[in-house]
Amino acid sequence: MNDSKILLFGFTRSAIEIGTRLKAQGYTFTYIDNDPTLLPRAKKLGCNLLILDYSDDETLVTLGIGEDVKFVFTLFEEDVQNVFLTLSIRSLDPKVEIIATTHTKDAIHKLEIAGASTVLDPYQMCGKRIYKLITQPEVMQVLDETIFGTEDINMEQITITAHSTLNGIMLKECYPTQKYNMLLVGIHDKELKKEFIFITEGHDHKLDSGDILVVIGQSAEIERFKMDYQL
Amino acid sequence: MGYITTLFVRFAYFLDASIRYHRAKEFCRTLLESQHSKLKFYFDIFMVLLVVFSVLFLLYEVKHPDGLPYLDAFVQFSLIVFVIEYLLRFWIYSDSHKLFLEAYDHATNNDIPFSLRRALFIIIKKKLDYIFSPLAIIDLLAILPSYRPLRFLRIFLLFRIFKLFRYARSMKTFTEIITEKKFELFTLAIFASFVIFTGSSAIYIFETHQNPKINTLFDAIYWAIVTMGTVGYGDIVPVTTEGMVVSMLLIIFGVAIIAFLTSIIVSSFQSKLIELKESRTFADVDKLENYIVICGYGRVGEVVAKMLHEDGYNLVIIDNDPSKIKLAQQRGLIGIVADASKSKILGALGVGKRAAQIICATNSDELNVFITLTARSLSKQIIIIARVIKNTHKKKYFLAGANYAFGADETIGLMGAQYIDQPISYAALEEMLTENTGVIFDIISIHEHSCFTNKTIEVLSLHEKRLLLFGILRKDESVPFHFNPSNDFVLKDHDMLIIMGRKHHINILRKLNDKRSVL
Repeated sequence: MNDSKILLFGFTRSAIEIGTRLKAQGYTFTYIDNDPTLLPRAKKLGCNLLILDYSDDETLVTLGIGEDVKFVFTLFEEDVQNVFLTLSIRSLDPKVEIIATTHTKDAIHKLEIAGASTVLDPYQMCGKRIYKLITQPEVMQVLDETIFGTEDINMEQITITAHSTLNGIMLKECYPTQKYNMLLVGIHDKELKKEFIFITEGHDHKLDSGDILVVIGQSAEIERFKMDYQL
Repeated sequence: MGYITTLFVRFAYFLDASIRYHRAKEFCRTLLESQHSKLKFYFDIFMVLLVVFSVLFLLYEVKHPDGLPYLDAFVQFSLIVFVIEYLLRFWIYSDSHKLFLEAYDHATNNDIPFSLRRALFIIIKKKLDYIFSPLAIIDLLAILPSYRPLRFLRIFLLFRIFKLFRYARSMKTFTEIITEKKFELFTLAIFASFVIFTGSSAIYIFETHQNPKINTLFDAIYWAIVTMGTVGYGDIVPVTTEGMVVSMLLIIFGVAIIAFLTSIIVSSFQSKLIELKESRTFADVDKLENYIVICGYGRVGEVVAKMLHEDGYNLVIIDNDPSKIKLAQQRGLIGIVADASKSKILGALGVGKRAAQIICATNSDELNVFITLTARSLSKQIIIIARVIKNTHKKKYFLAGANYAFGADETIGLMGAQYIDQPISYAALEEMLTENTGVIFDIISIHEHSCFTNKTIEVLSLHEKRLLLFGILRKDESVPFHFNPSNDFVLKDHDMLIIMGRKHHINILRKLNDKRSVL
């Protein structure tokens, strides 16, 4: 379904978890690790695991880095491995999206310097989630059931295309999304390159092609919206 | 059964039935022994003052043997108080009638002939236990010398100072240390006496005829102890070479013994101080209400604790690792070094009573599940949030009774997959959840007297208030969550609005909701 090539370095529990979800979304991807003892486990789980020496730049090139690889996850348990791998990949390809995980606080900064596009800190996330559960249990419950959960309410991003009828109109005009039963959370302006703009901030903004709308709603409703505005 | 036995039994039953007797005894117990009673606190202060003043007067009497009339009266008064105290302690130490009745019941229940002598023996033995307890001996020695014919024992009046041990907690700690280290101190004492004995015998043998100052064995012992204590007054000095060698050896041994003694006492003081500090921490926890217990101050625990602490929640942190607890304490949190898997610890921390939530955030699934189970067994109401390490174990947490359980890997998987698909919406979601940009999710619940009850959503005019309504939670319905309700949706009381927006915008709406009047 999707042709973007994804590599998952490090056959860890996080990797399996991400893999499961990517599979569900219809992506193809490859697990890569340098530890052959993991092979039986991968076979048991039905995962396609490549055993390669990732520290060798040539190997990375043969994997397609710098060519058709769009996303790379570095998911090793050791921060040293993650930082080194991030650095190797970044040196080969300045454009690839590198999503790195970290296990210690000071590694976050190192990964950023090494060139990771996003650093996922599992402990931070877990901690924040617990915090939310204590301070706003209802919100978390609803979010868990809807956006994160199985219920058919998702968060999606919609890129405005040049031929869309949304192109060139003011944000205010497209705001009443009531008739589609979906919420417009905010937009990301390509030109401004700024942070995400939330709809509640009250900016009135002219929509251009390339701007990204973030909406929440049922998939069917979002599809209907896309159809109507020729997105 | 003899006449006397019957009389004893009757008397014991009479005492057992007497409310007055019990009340009097209970009062004395509170006064003298109850650790938490205010009465005991004042009584202790009074006794300390009495002891200090009576000793001061004793010292005054040394130079002024005639004494002053009111001073004598005071001395008599303090003596009477001490005697009464001694007798009261003697009385409350054991319940003789209960012991007697127990023995009697035992005999009748088992059809054994009741022996009065045996019963009395048990009672007397128990009372003798009291008489020979160290503190009771001190009490007695503080009183006895006041009896005129025993005046030569006046020096024992100084024992009154030891009486202070009863009333000051820090002194009790000292005695506890001594008793705890009994074995070490005993061993050291044996070694010290051996050294003293050998040293003094040697000097006695070598110097008796050479040194005019050493004539008796007592002189030799005196010299040995003074030398060993590294004091060496110089009043007795060895004159022979052999004596000097003995002296040198004795000094080395003496230093060693003193060093040992010091280290034993210092080390046990240190551990005791930690204990004292801990008991103070537990007292701090006792004062809290509705707090959150966090088990494990690792990275997850740290994040949670920091955020909750900033929001003003009361926290109690438990961890096995003293260095982590130290870190928590430096950050102004209440931390206790303890094994959280012990139900005794959790019980002592009020899990099941005053603690509202417990977070199991240690880095072991076994421990987390165990804590979950322990907490659930202590309380049905407590909210348990657990961190899952291995996702395959998640089910066990719910079986153990956790309200929420999730792992870091799961979250990573969720976020990672989301990022590939839709990096922008991922960023938006993360920002809202982490509250970095100020746009947050929040809840406003419509209460009974709110002006919004039975109104449509349109009345809220959320758009002008720069708020976005995510949905409404109506708990008593089969489908509790209404996503993006339309403008003609009628609000009922107890509805919960889940709203996105800036904090102060949300607060404006919250204030309106709290008003009783119509808009």
